[in-house]
Amino acid sequence: MKTILLLEDLPEIRAWLKTLVMQVFPDARISEAARVHDALALVSAVKFDLALCDLGLPDGSGVAVVEKLRETQSECQSVVVTIHDDDEHLFPALQAGAFGYILKEQARELISEQLQRISQGEPPLSPSIARRVIAYFAAQSKPQQPDLLPHVSLTERESEVLLRVAKGFTLPEIGVQLGLSRHTIADYVKQIYRKLNVSSRAEAALEAQRLGLFRRS
Amino acid sequence: MARNGFFCRSLSLALAALLWLSPAAAQPAADAPAQAFADALAADDTGLGRFPEGARARVVDLPDQWARTRPHENSPVWYRMRFDAAGATTQLGLLGLYIERSCANLEVQLNGWRLHATGRVSDPMSRDCQRPLLVALPAALLQERGNTIDLRLAGHALDQVGSRERAAGLAAPLIGPYAALHERLARDSFLAVTLPGLAAALLMLTGLFTLALARNRRRDSHLAYFGLLAIGWALVTAGVWWHEVPLPIYASELILASLPPMVALAAVQFLLHFAGWRSRPIEVALYAQCVAVPASLLLAGPMRVHMLTSTWYMLLVLQVLAAIAFYLWSTYRARRRDFWAMALLLGVAAAAAAIELGVQQRGLPAPWRYLPQLLMPAAFVVMAWHLMQQYSRALLGAEDGRLALEVRVREASAEMEKNFAQMAELRVEQVTQQERKRIAADLHDDLGAKLLTIVHTSESERISTLAREALEEMRLSVRGLTGKPLKLIDALGDWRAEVVGRLSQTGIEGEWSAPSEEVTQTLSARAYVQTTRILREAVNNIIKHSGASRCSIVCLIESGDFQLAIQDNGKGIPLELDGRLDRGHGMASMKHRAKQLRGQCLVESGPGYGTVIRLTIPLEPHTTAA
Repeated sequence: MKTILLLEDLPEIRAWLKTLVMQVFPDARISEAARVHDALALVSAVKFDLALCDLGLPDGSGVAVVEKLRETQSECQSVVVTIHDDDEHLFPALQAGAFGYILKEQARELISEQLQRISQGEPPLSPSIARRVIAYFAAQSKPQQPDLLPHVSLTERESEVLLRVAKGFTLPEIGVQLGLSRHTIADYVKQIYRKLNVSSRAEAALEAQRLGLFRRS
Repeated sequence: MARNGFFCRSLSLALAALLWLSPAAAQPAADAPAQAFADALAADDTGLGRFPEGARARVVDLPDQWARTRPHENSPVWYRMRFDAAGATTQLGLLGLYIERSCANLEVQLNGWRLHATGRVSDPMSRDCQRPLLVALPAALLQERGNTIDLRLAGHALDQVGSRERAAGLAAPLIGPYAALHERLARDSFLAVTLPGLAAALLMLTGLFTLALARNRRRDSHLAYFGLLAIGWALVTAGVWWHEVPLPIYASELILASLPPMVALAAVQFLLHFAGWRSRPIEVALYAQCVAVPASLLLAGPMRVHMLTSTWYMLLVLQVLAAIAFYLWSTYRARRRDFWAMALLLGVAAAAAAIELGVQQRGLPAPWRYLPQLLMPAAFVVMAWHLMQQYSRALLGAEDGRLALEVRVREASAEMEKNFAQMAELRVEQVTQQERKRIAADLHDDLGAKLLTIVHTSESERISTLAREALEEMRLSVRGLTGKPLKLIDALGDWRAEVVGRLSQTGIEGEWSAPSEEVTQTLSARAYVQTTRILREAVNNIIKHSGASRCSIVCLIESGDFQLAIQDNGKGIPLELDGRLDRGHGMASMKHRAKQLRGQCLVESGPGYGTVIRLTIPLEPHTTAA
């Protein structure tokens, strides 16, 4: 039995999503929220296995909820469900610890398939997100503050997978090219998401520390 | 005198034999060569205005330099010489008496007749020490035999003057044809008067020019000292021009003696500054010396002038030599390239100065006298040339520096203007971008939410499909509105992921071919969006209508164009009645979009032959470098 958080401000869409989720996970217990504030209250009260979060909400961004979940409930898989497909909106959510994203307007079947895949540990990854991740880690590896940051870097295989995704190859194609199983490729993608989050958090902590130091001095 | 005694006596004997004892052979005629007197009768002046007949006379050798024979006396002396002039009274030729040196001035009498007298004979007396004298001997006053020439010489004792040049003396007079002697006069006055005068003028000019240059460049103080040195030397050697100075000898000697320490000051300072070394104590000492020299003469009195000036001049020459040595030493260490030329030049100058000192203090003979007068100005001019060259090099360097600076300033201001323009552009861009973002956000939040609701709540599949497509269109539009240029290689990645993903979901065998490396071009956001739509539309057609089992997409970059060919093996697009392809398949909108990008979209199709869509859009030239 799963506990699922559903954060969506539009009532119709929320209802639609709820039916969809109930179809995929028939025995799940679903908590609904229309605002960030409500969602945060739920997160501190209930332990979730899966959270579907919209980004643009009346009282803020769903990223805050993703962040809170990452901090307090590390086993919970957060998935961004959004109308934005561009990496400028998605990347911060992924950095905050989201484990993939689903575009809302897709057909019901597609969404349910993606939900299933995510819950089985196969998050989606688009070429533009892959490019952002590559650029992010490339900037991280520049020798500016190497001693201050906990060193999070991609393995050669992870980079290889990212490069191929960026070139437009699908994950099954990459599996064939690298002679790896579909699950192994999915594991790499999960690992990439995790490292992105770890590295981002370290960076944020450092930034906070730096600001704190400035304030004190 | 003792050294030269034998020589002088034998010469005088020989000449006496010629002139006096053998009158037949020694008659000076108009065409005969000039004859020199080797000795004369000398008697002290008694103030009668003629040779004192009754006084005790003595025989003196000629030339008679008082510096040797009577260094402490300064009373005038009469000299008497006799000669025969057979034939001179009847022949046309004119005889002349030539005296190369008669210091300070001379009166000439022939057979008792006064022929020549120059200037004042008592202090302040006229000084014609450097000027050769030629006096015509009128035939009317001449006798065949036993002519008498009386010379009255007034001058100063050696003790009274700073230089032997200015001590009284009489050269051996010559008697001969006037024309020949005149030539000699011309030659000698050129050497003794004109040449030093010209040299002094030249030096004066050089000095003034150098000073003028130095005025503009305080940093080059050595130039100023060189100018002063040249002017000082010119004044020292310009003595030939001052033969009528209404000053007592003591006063004029004081003035003359105060010049050399100034020259030495200029020389030493020039050399030290030129070597790049400045010393305050030395400067002070040199100035003090300029005062000390005339002061010591003043204290010692008029009869010790020569002794003191000799000592001082020796000291000054030593100072200058020391400065030369220091200069050469520092040049040898720092600027080896200049060393040998400067060593030669300064060597010449030092030699000239030493010879000059020798002439003034030891009375070296004539050829030596002219040497420094030639060498010194030459050395000065060469040095001035060298300094000018250095100066002009420095000037050129400064000019180059100025030009370089100007170029840099121009570059910097151009850069600033550019930056400013860029910033202004950036600002406009920022504002535009902000506005676009706001519009995009509004579209997403409002229109997007509504369309999304339609997508997921509509009962009709057709309506929800339409709404989904509208949503996709909206998103592409928003991206076109806010987007930055995209790298073509990234766009290719996006397209491949979408096309291959969708084809594989629908079970159509997809084949994608595109350049994978070395794609440096970029695509404007608009071109990206429009191409995405065309591609999406084409793939939609293939999936929905063609019934194809295979589809190949080929991307090419050729001669500045991006080309896309989408081919399927489906049943093709049916023709309309008018022979056109079915508009329902979105061909028109594809073509329209291609046209907006200044490209074209060609569709080749026939029933049963599949469909090929060829899209060609130009890549913007300025984006190819990115």
